[in-house]
Amino acid sequence: MELDVHLPAIVAGDKGAFAAWLGGAEGTVRATLRSFARVIDVEAVLQEALLRVWQVAPRFVPDGRPNGLVRLAIRIARNLAISEVRRMRATAADVDVDEVGDADAPEVAAPDPLLRAAIADCRDKLPPKPRAALDARLASGGTSDDDTLAEGLHMRTNTFLQNFTRARQLIADCLGKRGIHLATELAR
Amino acid sequence: MSALDGEDEELLIEQVAGAFRPWPLLDGELRYHPVWHDLSPAARERAHDRATTLRRAEAALDHEHLSSTARAVLARIP
Repeated sequence: MELDVHLPAIVAGDKGAFAAWLGGAEGTVRATLRSFARVIDVEAVLQEALLRVWQVAPRFVPDGRPNGLVRLAIRIARNLAISEVRRMRATAADVDVDEVGDADAPEVAAPDPLLRAAIADCRDKLPPKPRAALDARLASGGTSDDDTLAEGLHMRTNTFLQNFTRARQLIADCLGKRGIHLATELAR
Repeated sequence: MSALDGEDEELLIEQVAGAFRPWPLLDGELRYHPVWHDLSPAARERAHDRATTLRRAEAALDHEHLSSTARAVLARIP
């Protein structure tokens, strides 16, 4: 999938276009950071890197190859990750950094409508409390911590997390019965 | 630091696998999830893998195909 189709609108400051780009790019950029996960908080690095893409996009000059902005995002994310490794005083032995060449064409997956329909159906079958925990996480969009979400549902934080875990496992079971691959990963 | 028992560690992994992160400090220093530091390296890796899968599921449930990571990033744009 070519995400640079969103580039002109992003450069013009269109947040909606950046959202569409994010939807396609996030998983690809995240995957390149896995080798850092033992020594730095990849989620924090990833969010900061993606924000920096938005900030530098108006000055980005495409080189004519596909997914130039995704390649830029990968460079920003990995440079930031390496800075974090130094800040955390991790040693080279702690990180087995796999090389990602700039010439590599990043693979960007398109949304899967069958997966989308199956997960929505499985979510609708959840019992009330696990469903409430899952919905609270989704509605917050990563802007509230679990203590705050639990309080909003009149649950203790541990109870909230147990309900969220239950929701995740029930959805995994439901998807597994449909032979959907994501089920195994979601159940872990 | 004492070793966490299995259930405690699972709940910490569940928290770290979420997308919530405090915003960076004014000098740009990143802020990690507060309980990330309590996890073993192996548990941090599990949290990362779980986050990867959860984000796919979240995006599949979102009307704009956006995960909570994407939404958290967009929330930081004025």
